[in-house]
Amino acid sequence: MLTWTVVIALALGVYGQRAAGALFLKADRLPEPAKRVLDKLPLAIIAAVIALTTVTAGGQLSLDARLAGVAVAGFCAWRKLPMLVAVVAAAATTALVRAVF
Amino acid sequence: MNALKDWVLPPGTKFGMGEALTVAFAYFTVGVTVTILHVSQGTSWSAMLGVIFLVNSVTPGLAYVAVTDAGGSTTAGVLSGWLVSSRFGLFAAAIAPYLWPSRWKRALAAHGAFDPSVALGLREEEPLDKRRVYIAAAFWMIVPWWFGGVLGILIGSNVGDPGALGLDAIFPAVLLVIVWPQLRERDSLTIALVALIAALALVEITPGGVPALAAACAALLALRPPLPPGFDPEEAAPC
Repeated sequence: MLTWTVVIALALGVYGQRAAGALFLKADRLPEPAKRVLDKLPLAIIAAVIALTTVTAGGQLSLDARLAGVAVAGFCAWRKLPMLVAVVAAAATTALVRAVF
Repeated sequence: MNALKDWVLPPGTKFGMGEALTVAFAYFTVGVTVTILHVSQGTSWSAMLGVIFLVNSVTPGLAYVAVTDAGGSTTAGVLSGWLVSSRFGLFAAAIAPYLWPSRWKRALAAHGAFDPSVALGLREEEPLDKRRVYIAAAFWMIVPWWFGGVLGILIGSNVGDPGALGLDAIFPAVLLVIVWPQLRERDSLTIALVALIAALALVEITPGGVPALAAACAALLALRPPLPPGFDPEEAAPC
């Protein structure tokens, strides 16, 4: 359950980090190697977030229907199908696998 | 109107109506489902509005609930929420060079730093296109997410199980489709795989938020010297 105190603490922390990143990390004055790393940072974190939201639940590894859905999304991306098709196929696959097993 | 259109659907960029509607649909669904989840656990509608408009992100609230439900203190819950969202600071820094010189504008635009908005923005070639697509993608995400969140509050706990509709697979699916083109490049693929393995290896032994942060270190692999032009690793490999 989220209370207002928690919400305000979270909001301050989240916006503080967003603003600090945008204002104080001067990416254009960074040396070339640092830029290369900064360039790949989102990819690394997104890859981790994909993994965590696909095969973990509540801090535990958990293989379930989501993996099938995300695999279908990957197949659609490989076939260069539109994003909407990939997303709807992912949700439908997940629901189907969940309903069958 | 043309000026406005440049920021909502920037012409001449890879960000078209298809991408816009997909992102909008995904975040609308995320807004509805996560809000229903929180409200059904006893969060008040006003605190939920705070999450939707002020926190402007899903994962901190989910991390807080995950930690406190597992017996963690309120402080530990908030800390894990901050840790989970530290990626937004890095995302904001990655797009910041392409935003405005004005500190106020950059600080305001930073509120829209999400995984897909930054990824879609950086996908463009031209600096101005990066800025426009970032703002456009943030718009197509935030507005549906706000509407979805308010709708989720209205629906409350009347919907049974969002998982039965497979809606929980949408978030990773969208992110995967967005980063897919980058994965064709060998260095990026390596970084993504190392990050994925690191996150999954750490998830059961570290507090929430740490796995994603530690996985960010995979980006350090970009420090390896770039391959000389014309060098093809496929040909160089003995097999």
